[in-house]
Amino acid sequence: MTTVATPLPPSPWQKARTFAATPRFARILSIMVFLLAWQFLAPLLPTDLIPAPLRVLQFMWDEVRAITLARANLYEAFGISLRRLAIGFALAFGVGVPVGLLMGVSRSIENFFQDFVVVGLAMPSLVWALLTGIWFGMGDTSPVVTVFLAALPFVIINMFEGVRDVPKDLTDMAAAFRIGRGRTIRHVIMGSLMPFFFASLRYGLANGWKGLVLAEVFASTSGAGWTIQYWRDAHRAQGVFGYALFFVLFALLLERLVFQRLSRRVFRWRPEIVSVNSTAAQAVADETMRDGDRPDEDG
Amino acid sequence: MTTQTDTTTAETVAEDVPVESQFRRDLRTRWIPRFAGYIAFLLFWDWASGGLIRAQLLPGPLTILEEMWGIVASGELWNHFGSTLRKIGIGWVIAFALGAAIGISMRHPWWDGFFRDWVVTTMSTPGLVFALIAAMIFGFSPVGPIVAIVVTSFAFFTVNIAEGVKALPKDLFDMARAFDVDSRRRLRHVVVPFLAPYIFAAMRYGFSISWKIATLTELFGASRGIGFMMRREYQLFNMSGLLAWIFFFFAFALLLEKVVLQRGIDHFFRWRQTAAT
Amino acid sequence: MAEIDINHLNKQFGTGPDSVSALQDVSFTVAGHTLVSIVGPSGCGKSTLLNILSGIETPTSGTVRITENGGDARVGYVFQSARLLPWRTVMDNLMFVQKAQDRSAGERCQRFLDMVHLGDRTESFPGELSGGMQQRVGIARAFSIEPDVLFMDEPFSHLDAITARSLRKELHEMWKATEKTVLFVTHDVGEAVELSNRILVFAAGGKIADDMTIDLPFPRDAADEAVALTKVKVLKRFENMNLIAS
Repeated sequence: MTTVATPLPPSPWQKARTFAATPRFARILSIMVFLLAWQFLAPLLPTDLIPAPLRVLQFMWDEVRAITLARANLYEAFGISLRRLAIGFALAFGVGVPVGLLMGVSRSIENFFQDFVVVGLAMPSLVWALLTGIWFGMGDTSPVVTVFLAALPFVIINMFEGVRDVPKDLTDMAAAFRIGRGRTIRHVIMGSLMPFFFASLRYGLANGWKGLVLAEVFASTSGAGWTIQYWRDAHRAQGVFGYALFFVLFALLLERLVFQRLSRRVFRWRPEIVSVNSTAAQAVADETMRDGDRPDEDG
Repeated sequence: MTTQTDTTTAETVAEDVPVESQFRRDLRTRWIPRFAGYIAFLLFWDWASGGLIRAQLLPGPLTILEEMWGIVASGELWNHFGSTLRKIGIGWVIAFALGAAIGISMRHPWWDGFFRDWVVTTMSTPGLVFALIAAMIFGFSPVGPIVAIVVTSFAFFTVNIAEGVKALPKDLFDMARAFDVDSRRRLRHVVVPFLAPYIFAAMRYGFSISWKIATLTELFGASRGIGFMMRREYQLFNMSGLLAWIFFFFAFALLLEKVVLQRGIDHFFRWRQTAAT
Repeated sequence: MAEIDINHLNKQFGTGPDSVSALQDVSFTVAGHTLVSIVGPSGCGKSTLLNILSGIETPTSGTVRITENGGDARVGYVFQSARLLPWRTVMDNLMFVQKAQDRSAGERCQRFLDMVHLGDRTESFPGELSGGMQQRVGIARAFSIEPDVLFMDEPFSHLDAITARSLRKELHEMWKATEKTVLFVTHDVGEAVELSNRILVFAAGGKIADDMTIDLPFPRDAADEAVALTKVKVLKRFENMNLIAS
């Protein structure tokens, strides 16, 4: 006969201790620590330009309700920026895809463009923002051209890599089965280019967005980038911090709502892909694989 | 019943076309197109200067070279370049120490939970945000750019080192333990050489980020440095000056990153067959 | 009835003194309903021959004729690796090679997938299948276009021994049911003896070294005494031939 010892129900103290050891607790704790430190250390710093978190939240809440002192509210500002991003990126895509494809097909064309693409990849979008500001003045043109120039090399390089990556054994297979050119392009080549279209979109947009914000700071009188600059000029620190957080939220939203879904759709056929919930790890994986064709944190 | 279907009758495919020498093929597919690319670029520039945009707004190459020479001769270059480089050096070292410490601590899931959100957030935030805030808080002091560099680039060290730590080869570790190698020698001969490529990749990448963010922060608030000069020329609408500083920026960034750092890394990894990317 | 007629086929890579001969004066004919194995050491030109037959490469000289009752012969291929489109489902991979994209083609694809026991995996992506299953899809794809002639390039060499054995059985059954002319390249003598009516032996440099008929009743099993003995006999004959370049 065996006696089964009924385990005692854990005391609340034990429960709390087990919970404190979980990564989830660490996550919550780190945010709490940060906010508390901010709230209490900010007044100690030799500046009155760091607003307390509550004031920033108040500002953001007002903005979300479209109450603002700036000329355009949150939605108008982001709307203007998004329109510029869309136009600039569409242009970059329209030019970059054919150029990248041609570079992949012909070695001569590759060498013709190569050095410029490499320089373009390394070019901080800040440079484009300043140059277009002088060339095209304050208006819509400078931000759009900046997006175009900042996104273009990323589109080109990804399409180029895509062509290089079309698997020869599959095109040979199609040839052996006497599949026509049209069907081969549609089913074999497009299929293998898909991930590269996706990478063009992602990196091109990421770099375009960073360029756009800078161009709006230096060479525009409207848009999200201009608004953050407006709050800075007005010495409203909560405006700068608030808008900074909006930028972060916007990037996260884009990543979660658009790219992750799109990627799940595009890579439906890749069973080994585990949904990457950390963009950071993804970024570094890309970085270690190929140098230079992802956008830098150049603001 | 022997209709020829696969018309692969190829008796006359005589290869009487002389085989192109390696040199000539290289010339045709590599050097000539490359050269043509530069010529086309210069021609476009020349035409755009005046044709597309007013000549003052897009000075020709020679004007810019003159301007650059003027900057070098006046000693301004060393003054501002040195200032920027010092900030980068300090920021980079701090970012590395901080990033490495966090990266190693993230081996533990609890610390991983503690830091992960911050790492991801700082990596996906536009550098402009940090540059603006740093410039706002620290004004014209050199601390601003340094803080901006630390905040933007520490996460790249963290992630790379955390990945490296995660990928540490257990079999080599076990082998060392089986041979009773003590922990200090294990660290020196197994852990450090294994992590080295991750660390160097992070160092190089962190460096290129540091450059850009330092310049950007100087643009908003500094009294010295390359970014400050770009800002000044921009406000003066002095296009040749602005372009001259941009070219300097490029020349130094590329020189330091591709030549100095990459050389050092290649030297370190000469035992490796395939160089670390 | 399908016929393969190869006449004085030569293939050289490169020109001048550096050139390498992959095939030298290769001539043979295959009449319908046979499964011919081509056996030889690596570098004997087996793959080059199949590449020429499939039109991926052109010969330096010589002719190839693949005919069906005097008309165009339809040709199916099975490759060393499955070569499936990873972004298309199993069914779409089969439909990809069909001439007509109609219902009867779909039904035919389903029938051949049933024959390789994958009838219930039509909507899977290749990445979700094991290596053996992928190769079975490759075989079903080749049969699904109802070819007159089938070329197979070491189709089982990437698989483990047990999977390869069961696939050989399936292949044999499909071959018997459809009576195709099959050209089967392999480096495995046992496999050749088990499957084929006839074995062509290639030597280094791309020359035909031997041409033998395997006259054993089907179905054959590698464990059968007669099959094992034949394999030994074939291997012994190899010893007297100079198959590897000296």
